[in-house]
Amino acid sequence: MNTALAHVGEIFDRLRRGHHLSLEDEPLFSAVAANYEEYATFFAAIKLTLVRHPRDFFYFAPEPGDKVPDGLPRIAVFSYILIDHAANIGRNLEEYIFTQHFLVSQLPHFSLDRYCVLLKQVDIRDIQGLRPTLRQMHRMGWLKFLDGEEFRFLRPFHRMLDKCLELSGPRPWAGNAEPAAGSTS
Amino acid sequence: MDLLRELAGLDGELSEAEVRQIIRADPVLGLESLEQTWKQLQALQILVPAEVDSDYYVMARPVSRLIAYLFDEAHAATPEMIRGYMESLEVLGRGLARSIANDDILAVRLALEELQQTLQRIQSDLDETYRSVCSEVSDYKTRRRTVAMREQFRRIVYWMDRYVEPLVEFVRPDGLRTATFEEFERLLLRARDSSMFSDVPALDRCARQLRLIERQALRVFRQCRDELRPLYESLRRSSFIAAGAALALEHLQRDGIGGWAQKHVVPVYTTLNYSVPSDAAIARCVRALSDYRPERPPKVDLHRDEPVPTELVRQKWLTALPREVRKALPLSDLLAWVVLRYPSMSTADILEGFTRLVFHKDFSASFTHAERRTYAIGDSIIFANPVELRAP
Repeated sequence: MNTALAHVGEIFDRLRRGHHLSLEDEPLFSAVAANYEEYATFFAAIKLTLVRHPRDFFYFAPEPGDKVPDGLPRIAVFSYILIDHAANIGRNLEEYIFTQHFLVSQLPHFSLDRYCVLLKQVDIRDIQGLRPTLRQMHRMGWLKFLDGEEFRFLRPFHRMLDKCLELSGPRPWAGNAEPAAGSTS
Repeated sequence: MDLLRELAGLDGELSEAEVRQIIRADPVLGLESLEQTWKQLQALQILVPAEVDSDYYVMARPVSRLIAYLFDEAHAATPEMIRGYMESLEVLGRGLARSIANDDILAVRLALEELQQTLQRIQSDLDETYRSVCSEVSDYKTRRRTVAMREQFRRIVYWMDRYVEPLVEFVRPDGLRTATFEEFERLLLRARDSSMFSDVPALDRCARQLRLIERQALRVFRQCRDELRPLYESLRRSSFIAAGAALALEHLQRDGIGGWAQKHVVPVYTTLNYSVPSDAAIARCVRALSDYRPERPPKVDLHRDEPVPTELVRQKWLTALPREVRKALPLSDLLAWVVLRYPSMSTADILEGFTRLVFHKDFSASFTHAERRTYAIGDSIIFANPVELRAP
């Protein structure tokens, strides 16, 4: 093992469980952020790809074709509903998600029958049923519990927003929406 | 004043009833002044008939402009307005060139006056466009927070497309406006140097105004773009994120969870780690083994009598009925056979069994010409014509 890389054992141990290293994971985050290339090379030797996200957090790239673990569809449905709700109430999504604290009992996931039906597809039937999903997101480093009831989202949740952007595909309004005035400024 | 502003804010024509309704709703004006206010609005020509002898009214144009000015309400210039100005200036330019060539002093003066008016209107519309954009942006920031994200985004895109984009044509160095203004500058120079027109200050004023508008258009364009662009960028991203989430939920609702996960889940790396157990883990296992106290297995009573559900008995009977009846075919009176063979069954069960046999695909049932008979079933009596049953 390369002894020059600080905390490498602990970093590996967290990343291999699907954890995302962000500012909340000091001193591990600072260690990787300062020597990203070296850590990436180190893990590449054992066929692991260390990804540095543009929003400044780190995770291991999943193997293509890996089986989808049970909890991930629940996380996806939970997240899509939260985003859909924020969009419906006219909030700036990133501001809504990343700048406020959420209370588990106040989550909007059971505010509409449509959401209830969707959640039922992943066996979530009430607010209590959301807790295991939130705990898994906590283990992945996507959110942080401030106490048993209150939590806030962390930067790695951006992966979910990236997925939404990927799904939205070709932008229906983007073609003529870009102001074509660059030459005049 | 509130009443005037309210009236100015309404687009289109208003009936007398609608105007009276608005007057009545004004908290300052009492009910007693309703008639007087209505008469004043007409007498002072604040409201004028939309057409001659029409029962519908519109606010007089000068009054609505004054109200807009007093309350700093602005309307952005549309592409059509800008195009109209450019066409008007082109026609005017050709007329001015002819007048200079013919040395028609009066026509030159009239053309210059019209040019000044048109330039003033352009200046005023540019100013209004900027104020409208500012107002839209601040309105978004303060009041439109409850409108759905996609609607907000489309509104901003609409403003970009409708009011900011046309300004690009107006400020482009190789655009139509630049060519038209340059042509006017040349004409003004020619009028000064080679015509009998002697009002040099008027020519200077026009040339100055042309340059002023050029600078103002560029400034307004940049300001509008700078006001809208951050909002546009932020809303664009949010809108696409929201669209992706909505799409994912729609797919889930439509297609169900099977196969959905592969495309819509964010993949996360996980692996199981096999390693030598630690001392603590081994100690825990040993402790668990030493603390283990075997328990007797629970006894399962396999011979306990449980009542068979009546519904199960009934279903079994109904299922076996075609097999039973097949042995007795042909039957000249099906119902008599069922009643006789199953005397303990209830009337409902007898009738259900009878119906099942009548409509069974393996048998053929038909009424006979025999007289109506009486069938006693338990505590019921049924009168019916006999039905015979045969194998087809």
